[in-house]
Amino acid sequence: MTAHRALARTLDSESLSGRVGSNRVRLVVAAGFVSLVVPVLGPAQDGGANRTWDGRPDLNGIWQAIGTAHWNLEDHPAAPGHPDLGAIGAIPPGQGVVLGGPIPYLDAAREQREQNFETRMTNDPEAKCFLPGVPRATYLPYPFQIVQGDRKIMIVYGFAEANRTIHMDKENPESPPLDSWMGRSHGRWDGDTLVVDVEGFNGEAWLDRAGNFASSSLKVRERYTPFGRNAILYEATIEDPTVFSRPWTIRLPLYRRLEENARVLEFKCVEFAEDLVYGHLRREPTR
Amino acid sequence: MSSASRLAVWAAIGLLGATSAGAASFHHLRIISPSPLEAVAWYARHLDCDEVPDRTDAVACSGIELIFVAMPTMGSTQGTGVNHVAFSYADLASKMAELEAVGVRGSGVRLQRSDDGSTLRDVAGMFKHGFLFDPWGTRIELVEDPARLGFHHVHLSASDPAATLRWYRQVLGGDPDPLHGADGGLRLEGRWLLASRHLDGAPAATRGRAITHVAFSVPDLGTEAVRMRRGGVEFEGEPAAPPNGRTSAKRAFAQGPDNVTVAFVEPGYAGVEAARSASGGVETRREPYEPPRTPWGEPDLQGVWTGNAAHGIPLERPANLEGVESLTAEQAAARRERGTLGSIWGYEREWRDTTLGYDKMAPSTQVAMIVDPPDGRLPAMTPEGKRLAAQAQVARRRVLARPPAGPEDLTPYVRCITRGLPGMMFPGIYNNGLQISQGPGNVVILKEMIHEARVVPTEPRDPVGPELTSWLGDPQGRWEGDTLVVETHRFNGRSPVRGSSAAMKLTERFTRVGPTKLAYEFTVDDPTVWVQPWTAAFAFDLDDEQYELVEYACHEGNYGMFNILSGARAKDRAATGR
Repeated sequence: MTAHRALARTLDSESLSGRVGSNRVRLVVAAGFVSLVVPVLGPAQDGGANRTWDGRPDLNGIWQAIGTAHWNLEDHPAAPGHPDLGAIGAIPPGQGVVLGGPIPYLDAAREQREQNFETRMTNDPEAKCFLPGVPRATYLPYPFQIVQGDRKIMIVYGFAEANRTIHMDKENPESPPLDSWMGRSHGRWDGDTLVVDVEGFNGEAWLDRAGNFASSSLKVRERYTPFGRNAILYEATIEDPTVFSRPWTIRLPLYRRLEENARVLEFKCVEFAEDLVYGHLRREPTR
Repeated sequence: MSSASRLAVWAAIGLLGATSAGAASFHHLRIISPSPLEAVAWYARHLDCDEVPDRTDAVACSGIELIFVAMPTMGSTQGTGVNHVAFSYADLASKMAELEAVGVRGSGVRLQRSDDGSTLRDVAGMFKHGFLFDPWGTRIELVEDPARLGFHHVHLSASDPAATLRWYRQVLGGDPDPLHGADGGLRLEGRWLLASRHLDGAPAATRGRAITHVAFSVPDLGTEAVRMRRGGVEFEGEPAAPPNGRTSAKRAFAQGPDNVTVAFVEPGYAGVEAARSASGGVETRREPYEPPRTPWGEPDLQGVWTGNAAHGIPLERPANLEGVESLTAEQAAARRERGTLGSIWGYEREWRDTTLGYDKMAPSTQVAMIVDPPDGRLPAMTPEGKRLAAQAQVARRRVLARPPAGPEDLTPYVRCITRGLPGMMFPGIYNNGLQISQGPGNVVILKEMIHEARVVPTEPRDPVGPELTSWLGDPQGRWEGDTLVVETHRFNGRSPVRGSSAAMKLTERFTRVGPTKLAYEFTVDDPTVWVQPWTAAFAFDLDDEQYELVEYACHEGNYGMFNILSGARAKDRAATGR
């Protein structure tokens, strides 16, 4: 059995919902699924992830989500896209990555989501080449690189020149001085899981191409747990009392890009969005 | 005491309404400039003021002195109670043409343009006039008043112009004379003190701003001070000869209406001897230094660095600095102020990271960035380089001939795409942060402006194929001793440096030369364009304790682009009459 299949089975398991990462729960899981998981991954909790100079899991490398979370975090059937693009633009079907049911929107916020969906062709920040925010940057269909140092962990995404500094060296972080698209990230290790708290968002970013969104009250807690050498279990708990009735969690694997010579290529998308953003101001208007 | 209550007191004790016997006259304006020497040269060259014998900190303009003092400035005259100072020319059109010919960039002459692009306005019933700024924030009006040439007037910005002028008249004497256009005026020995209504709240105090005070000469300070005190003028200390004064003549300070600092001086007053410390800047000179190591054993370049000190260093050595090894601290301060103030029109000084007095990094004294060729100039271009440069110029002229048709007519930087390489490494007036982070085998070079990150591998890898070009190219790093060397190629050539082509190979060297100094050097090797490679260098300073890069979300908030293009469409409509 490959590690990928084992991961898929683990992800399918309801009993893991929202609880991976807690050591107490891990023990329960290990007892219940010992025949499934342990023989494949071996005794090490992380399945033999690489280790850094200080014995931490080594997250260095180029990673990418595979799936359709960037289209819609929730279950979605196939649907038409922009008519000019034919089947290339169609929305492929996909299984959701939200744990435990639909996203718990407050009523007014659900309406906003529907409105976002209706206007997505022109209003989705991704279409405009705006910074994607967190967690959206993680599951965009592009690779990103983690550079793990002793004081900072950098995540450099190809899309829109987005990047994040995860401060590992601030014990008691002050609150973010400015709101921003990507928020401010503080990390710590919880066993072999990198836990990153992100806040200080400006509330402009969306969560996917379906119009799911959050406000500037958003707080995200991410958990990066190595799953073998070539996968990371990614979880993000999303808390935003102005938009959602309770915190909710997404979970999806991130895969190492194994191609020789893999790299995160520059994708400066501004010029591809200028017509969308400024077309009405051209001498010969295009919009 | 507020201006209003002070006026009320004078009214109550009957001071208002009685004029003094001997009228005062303008004596001097005290103006902040980081380099009094440069200020003297600037006012002599551009406003025809005379140098004062034995003085390096003052000029005389029609007998009225401008005294320059080197200190940190809090902003321009605009917004204070002293809006500007005016000079009169008999032929203003030719004077303006002369100033326009000097050019805006570098010379420190900044002309204020009206909506139609002109610098000269001719409004019926008023003098012909125009505005400019000196390099340090003093707003200057030029008028055409053949009856009174040279130093013409000081224009106050007052909450209550009439009350303000009444105060000055009581204190100084003089004759009411509104002149053209102002809300009111006072004539003092043939020059004017004018006042217009301040449009935006209360005027800011002049102290610390470009014109810090206006000084008047009074015939007998002892007697006058007694009279003024009776009228409620509050002096800041007794009239006295200042310590380090050039003469024994006395002077006294008081607060006029609207927080304008006013000085009164006796005949013979000649300013204060300026004391200035000479502190030079250390540059990229290599000193023996053992940099710290990362836990995995590589030289540790990590931290937040800024290029603020290097802002203002020109790429090429200016012709008038041939053979000069380094600038004096004063010259360096003046150069950076020129660069800071001259870079973008209309940004308040408080906004700029490089404003003197706000930035703790002393400005660099380095003469030019180019260190090879040794003359500090770009090498000669190849015939192909010349052809490409001419072609680019023609294309640029074509674009500039009309308002921009769309975003493509503007630079990649204005479009928030990139500053290119090595452009993104150059310091500017703000957001000069450079964050270096390392993991084993990789260095991340993150520039705050415009949140561009480069991941540089220090282990060899295969380059990308020749068709896979990009704005910032494909980097390959390596450690040479304690120096990080980064070689980059596969550029798309759309964001050139001084005419470079897509064939450019860029080699950069980052060396920590001291605990807080990072030497940065780059070599441009582009045989298509230049007959030989050229190398430039400057330094970054560690500012790890309090500096954190902000997210410079450029494209996301590019209101400038909307404004440029909607303005261009308005010009189109105006041109076609539709």
